[in-house]
Amino acid sequence: MPQAERDGIENRLLRSLGSDDYALLEPYLTAVELPKGHVLFEPGAPLREAHFITSGLSSIIAALSGSQGVEIGLTGRDGMVGLPLLLDCDRTPHRAFMQVEGRALRIAAEDLQRVIDSSAPLRKLLLRYVHVLAIQTAYTALSNAMDTIEERLARWLLMSHDRQDDDEIALTHEFLSLMMGVRRPSVTIALHSLEGLGFIKATRGLVTIRKRAELEEFAGSAYGTAEAEFARLIGPIR
Amino acid sequence: MPRFYMHIEDWPDRIEDLEGSELPDHEAARREVLSAARQLWAAAILDGRDLSGRSFIVTDETGNVVLTMAFKEALPPGLIPD
Repeated sequence: MPQAERDGIENRLLRSLGSDDYALLEPYLTAVELPKGHVLFEPGAPLREAHFITSGLSSIIAALSGSQGVEIGLTGRDGMVGLPLLLDCDRTPHRAFMQVEGRALRIAAEDLQRVIDSSAPLRKLLLRYVHVLAIQTAYTALSNAMDTIEERLARWLLMSHDRQDDDEIALTHEFLSLMMGVRRPSVTIALHSLEGLGFIKATRGLVTIRKRAELEEFAGSAYGTAEAEFARLIGPIR
Repeated sequence: MPRFYMHIEDWPDRIEDLEGSELPDHEAARREVLSAARQLWAAAILDGRDLSGRSFIVTDETGNVVLTMAFKEALPPGLIPD
């Protein structure tokens, strides 16, 4: 496939595949729209498909009985939702849903399996991505244990910003409070702090990144390692 | 369900809540700001900060104040400053 066409592929995993391997996968990919709130998989349900996200954000939630759970992973155009399928697992205790509406290329589980079995480069790429996501989860655990709410929020905003083109991120304080497992007023105050420092502008339903480099410095060491692993093993995320 | 707006006052500054929360009634709003104040105190104590000057001002959708809570009130009784 010519380079110009390759650049049109939004999903970073698919973009980094060689033309021959992408051609094996392409017939089984269906473009789908994913509205905000759309559930990609439920805890314990058999996984029937995988999604290569091309826009928007999907959250992986560690579900707690009787509550909304807490976000433990974020996937956008950098990755694929449905990773247990790569690891010979048919289901997972986690939930995944679209936190910001977007689009994806969807593939049925059996089609994905067949193509992976016939393409070592695809299999290896997806397994490298599993590793990168595990690193992201580790740094989420680190951040939750060590960081202030402002630092956790900064990291989360940077990760969202990495997965889209523009500087405006559409989200509510309610959503952020559910994702981070904190009370909504804590989010309001943390956003106000980051705005006071000049890093962002927060208006109703929208956060605009103003000073990316300063926000990275503020987020500290919980942001950056997983991103460097992605760049090293897969390619540029932005 | 009614929507309640939880503004934070640290006179003369005020952080406006532009979004609000849907909660069944005033009592639920009071419990929510109590929990929020305790969470904020926990973070502040780790940092060595004092939030005694702050209050929650909760308004309804028409802008009427339905309750206020000084952050001090959210501390365990033995710790509330005189």
